[in-house]
Amino acid sequence: MVRLRDLPDYERKHLLSKNLPPLGPPAWTPLTKSLSELRIALITTAGLHFRDDPAFEFADSTFRPISGNEDANYLVMSHSSVNFDKTGFSEDVNLVFPIDRFRELEAEHKIGSLADVHYSFMGAGLNPEAYEASASQVAGLLKQDKVDAVFLTPV
Amino acid sequence: MTTAISLVRENTETMQPPRALWVSFPLGRPLGKPGDAGFQHRVIAASLDLLTRQAGPVLVDYPEDAPTVDIKTAPACPVSFSKPATDTDTWKAALLNELQTLTPWYDLGRRRRKGRTLVGISNFSMTENLEKLGQLLDDEILPVSELNWFKRAIEDAKVFYLEALTAQPGDYNQEQLQKILWNDTAIGAAILKFNDMFLANTELSSFARIIAPRNVAPRNVPTRTTNKD
Repeated sequence: MVRLRDLPDYERKHLLSKNLPPLGPPAWTPLTKSLSELRIALITTAGLHFRDDPAFEFADSTFRPISGNEDANYLVMSHSSVNFDKTGFSEDVNLVFPIDRFRELEAEHKIGSLADVHYSFMGAGLNPEAYEASASQVAGLLKQDKVDAVFLTPV
Repeated sequence: MTTAISLVRENTETMQPPRALWVSFPLGRPLGKPGDAGFQHRVIAASLDLLTRQAGPVLVDYPEDAPTVDIKTAPACPVSFSKPATDTDTWKAALLNELQTLTPWYDLGRRRRKGRTLVGISNFSMTENLEKLGQLLDDEILPVSELNWFKRAIEDAKVFYLEALTAQPGDYNQEQLQKILWNDTAIGAAILKFNDMFLANTELSSFARIIAPRNVAPRNVPTRTTNKD
């Protein structure tokens, strides 16, 4: 288990420096249908992409699409941080990008459907404001895909 | 609407996203445990449940910790680094020698993972990357014009080594793996040597932070013959 108090002093200070105020007024969207009807997309800040896609730069506010039709086992990670362990993700893509779990939920009709395309950002080196343009672009793409809800994972 | 996994509760408290589930899992493991669908489903269910909340922001603590792996019960390291890396005269020779030792284990691990590997973001082979990294160290040169390639080659090397060390199935102790990587291998020593060289370079000192964690650097790096000797 890892809590801030268990981390080295420099790492704790580094993570606490990321304590930032809210980006704007509170955003709240109430649920208007049951979970079993929701169309869900996955978005991660883990710097994932397929090997043929451009790797992320050291600080990079762009995003990579992850098609639901492709085999997620071929995803790689070009996150610039060295302060987390990658062996778990080597072992199982679902540890960071739980696409197989969500496919199981879809097959069991516990959620409505999965988005056609999911998205990956690389969350290091920049403050949240730097992602505004690309995040807005992804929001538009999610609307086109008729996505109701997004499951967000950090790394 | 969104529901998020939070790994750093303090960050989430201040930024106040609409719905977040804080988990106590290590950085790099937001779903807690690799290969355990049941564990992952419990985390997802708790996160999706937040979508049903009527008001927010909501920040809920997930009650289950990820299982820890006792160093005594973790699988043994399959690779013997008994031949001290210092026996090899140059960095290039030491790195290529180590690559030869590790490749069968990396291949075995890759087959066990049904072809899955994180190696390959640099678009060069491990041999090409290690030859070039070794040569740079032997010449005591920083790759100032190829920093993107350098960072990706270092990341490829680290995951290659870790995938080789975890070739056999089992739950590994992360602390043990990191100790082997940074203390027992030529690549660990090579990265720390680069780390020292970056730290000594006024314009590029911040680059050191993205090649090696600060808790493993600096340390004593073995001395090898260099082309400047």
